[in-house]
Amino acid sequence: MTYYALLFIAGFAGSFHCIGMCGGFACALGADARGSSATALRHILYNTGRLSTYCFLGTLAGALGQVICTSPAAGSPRAAALVGASLDVGQRALAVMAGLLMILMALRFFGMRAWHGVASGFGGSTLVVSLRSLIGRRGLAAPLAFGVLNGFLPCPLVYAMVAQAASTFDVLAGCLSMVAFGLGTFPAMLVMGGVGRLLAPSWRQRAVQVAGGFILALGLVTLGRGILPMTSGHGLHHIWHVT
Amino acid sequence: MTPAHDVLCRHCLLPVGRRGFTRAVNGEGCQFCCYGCCIAYQVKSGSADASEAAWFLVRLGVGSFLSMNIMLFSLLVYSGAFTGADRKVLPTIHLLLWGLATPAVLILGEPFVREIWSQARRGRLSSSALIVLGSLAAYTYSTLAVFQRGGHLYFDTATMVLMLFTLGRYLEAAGRARASRDLAPLLAAESELATVIEAGQEHRRPVREVRAGMLIRVKPGERIPVDGVIVEGRSHTDDAVITGESRQIAKAIGASVLAGSINLDGPLLIRSSGAGGESRWAQICRSVREALGQSSRTQRIADRLVGAFVPIVLALAGLTLIYWVQRLPLDEAMLTALSVLVVACPCAVGLAAPMAHSLGIGQLAQHGCLVRSPGALEALAGSRLIAFDKTGTLTAGRPQLVDIASDGVAEAEVLTRLAGLERHSEHGLARAIALAASSRGLAPIAAEEVQILPGRGLRGVVRGDPVAAGSAALMDELGWALPPALFARAELMAASGHSVVFVGWSENALAGRARAALSFDDTPLPEARATVDALRVLGLQVVLLSGDHAGAAARVASTVGVDAWQAGLLPEAKRAALDQYRTRHGTVAMVGDGLNDGPGLAWADVGIAVGSATDLARETADLVLPADGLWLLPWVVGRARAVRATILANLAWAFGYNLVALTCAVLGLLQPILAAAVMAGSSLLVVLNSLRLERLPGPCHPSGPELSAQARAHSEFSPSNYVVAEIK
Repeated sequence: MTYYALLFIAGFAGSFHCIGMCGGFACALGADARGSSATALRHILYNTGRLSTYCFLGTLAGALGQVICTSPAAGSPRAAALVGASLDVGQRALAVMAGLLMILMALRFFGMRAWHGVASGFGGSTLVVSLRSLIGRRGLAAPLAFGVLNGFLPCPLVYAMVAQAASTFDVLAGCLSMVAFGLGTFPAMLVMGGVGRLLAPSWRQRAVQVAGGFILALGLVTLGRGILPMTSGHGLHHIWHVT
Repeated sequence: MTPAHDVLCRHCLLPVGRRGFTRAVNGEGCQFCCYGCCIAYQVKSGSADASEAAWFLVRLGVGSFLSMNIMLFSLLVYSGAFTGADRKVLPTIHLLLWGLATPAVLILGEPFVREIWSQARRGRLSSSALIVLGSLAAYTYSTLAVFQRGGHLYFDTATMVLMLFTLGRYLEAAGRARASRDLAPLLAAESELATVIEAGQEHRRPVREVRAGMLIRVKPGERIPVDGVIVEGRSHTDDAVITGESRQIAKAIGASVLAGSINLDGPLLIRSSGAGGESRWAQICRSVREALGQSSRTQRIADRLVGAFVPIVLALAGLTLIYWVQRLPLDEAMLTALSVLVVACPCAVGLAAPMAHSLGIGQLAQHGCLVRSPGALEALAGSRLIAFDKTGTLTAGRPQLVDIASDGVAEAEVLTRLAGLERHSEHGLARAIALAASSRGLAPIAAEEVQILPGRGLRGVVRGDPVAAGSAALMDELGWALPPALFARAELMAASGHSVVFVGWSENALAGRARAALSFDDTPLPEARATVDALRVLGLQVVLLSGDHAGAAARVASTVGVDAWQAGLLPEAKRAALDQYRTRHGTVAMVGDGLNDGPGLAWADVGIAVGSATDLARETADLVLPADGLWLLPWVVGRARAVRATILANLAWAFGYNLVALTCAVLGLLQPILAAAVMAGSSLLVVLNSLRLERLPGPCHPSGPELSAQARAHSEFSPSNYVVAEIK
């Protein structure tokens, strides 16, 4: 459980980063004229949409990891041994890649613009323009759709978490990682929707750095799983997979 | 051409074509070529309260919410998360999946079904039918499996296929809109509003309602909507759309401005000099719209193939199902057939050419080069030989009168009669004569019944006497005597490479005779040599076909360095010469000016006019370069080749991909979801490959800024420096 708790905290700390971008959307979504319960429903739907996108991405990433690291041929023992060897290599390569990606994203939180431009692509701008027309719309479907599409907005935090989900090599674990992370972002986003800007920018900056630290640590550990010798790797693996 | 072909998609500006449909956006009926463009346009320009624009996104969002959850649970089921103790929940999960899939299929499939229906009513089978059929089959099978408590579920396949295709269409449309960005200012002439000042009040009016003499206000950064003269303010303008060259030109009170140019930095008040719909910009706009509405041969072949594709694929899917059902359980056989349906959607083939065409046409038009049809671009790309006309094309087309040899008449007498006659001609020699007359302080006498005789000269009546000017052949034709002394002097003039015009008239109803020979000198354009060299670097053979006599042609040929030349050609002879070259070199392009070369330009595979004196709508050339735009020619050829290469790459990719993917699908090696993803990706790749055309460099004047400035100084006061007929 510690693993998911960690991700939840990362999500919580990271959501102060979200306030900068997605918080704006949450604010724009605004209050419903029909009272506070309708407003709450609106925001819950928005966040549910967002969460389901994250889950989907996590599940896909987990499935990808699982596909890469599951032996496709359970044939002769010799083949299994061969596959086992390559499986380990694949797993390690994926862990290294995920770890590096997370570290790169974490560095962005400290103001280092590594890989700048990856996040702000052609798709992103199209999506943002698309989202604008959804904000003012009434009805329950709009905030849900808004959340779903919002979830696809380029975001280093989400990329880092998806990388983490891929390195679990398991569909369920990948999904749950993103659930934990997504739920972590709930409090701040819900508060944003209700009360507007709560924290001074300096505090937000500090929280963002905490989130960066979390992601950096997660990235280093994931990287370690790929690089360190098998025994310690196994040890870490156990910490990770206490599902 | 039927009106339906003229209609362009509101979003991507490509012809609406057969898949087209109308949808109301912001209370206005808009034509779209596909569903993707419809969504993308509504997203882009639907105002916030336009419920339909948002409705599409809501649908997309809710659709992805449902299909993502289906995918999520399906992946969990496949990965074995619900085994062992959790097995009991499986039926509940299945029911949940069904509950999610039913609205998802309805929401995502509805637009496709609508498209199929509208096509079916017109007796056509849309390619969307393949997708809908595939995912409905998967959905129906899975629904039966849920309620009969057995079998595998394929809800994820059914919804993800629809989802991916919707997304693919949306992204494709977004890419196509980028391709049309260059075209937007050109097509704007028809819809642009001008700020007209009437009785001290400013009104916004459509450009086509602007009449000559109206006062128009143009703010900095705006496009100047009509041709006119500045009456207040000073600014810089960028005339790239008209002249092909993007640079700032200072304009002050009294300077003329061109419609379509951009007012860069100061507010201007302009007195319109012509109707809004008559400006060259408006003509360019109409011409571009027409060009976009046409399809090239490549495109027509591709369209026909796409049309044949759908029934073939349906049959193939049926055969696949029949084959596999004997060897595999029904659901797996069905999945294989479904892969075949999904993977074979021929969207990429249909997209291969039009986007590259519209990008090419848009970029050329941005530099003042008009393409009359996409086929012209492809033909130009395949040309191996370019034939040039001489006067006004390789030469400045502004000959000067250097000598008059007369036979017993005064020079002034010759010039006054001639100037009146030549006022009716737009030929370069005509203006040289007018210039010579006015510099000597002679007022032209009005001429009547003027007739232009292409390739020979012109005739008319001055003060009741028939007057003719032109070649010796014309004098012969009229039966007018040509005094030997005059002829001998004319020979001498011609031998030194000058153009010679004989002038004759008859007096008192007697037979006329030639009374003077005028010699003109025409210098090659400063950029002619560099242009010819650049064309040769591109692997083109360059020849000169002149109606002028040998001396002048040889002089110009050696100055600009063409490979071969022929002189003294009448329009018919030019056609024969082109035929000869065509048998030896294949596709042949001809560069000339609009009118005298009309037959030649029409006869060549690609006719290219440099500048155009005539109304663009009546222009016979396939490609029109701006006045003084000869230097653009190598760039235009390069661009045409890039367009063709892109189209061929697109087609090769689309067909190659379809063949490989179809084979894999028939053999059962391709998952339907993967097939849908790669299929949507395939059209996207075609879009992206076509967008690469955007990144090619623009034209660059070969001889640096001084020369182009010099060329402009020439053209500044003679906006219609076009040569119409060679009067020899």
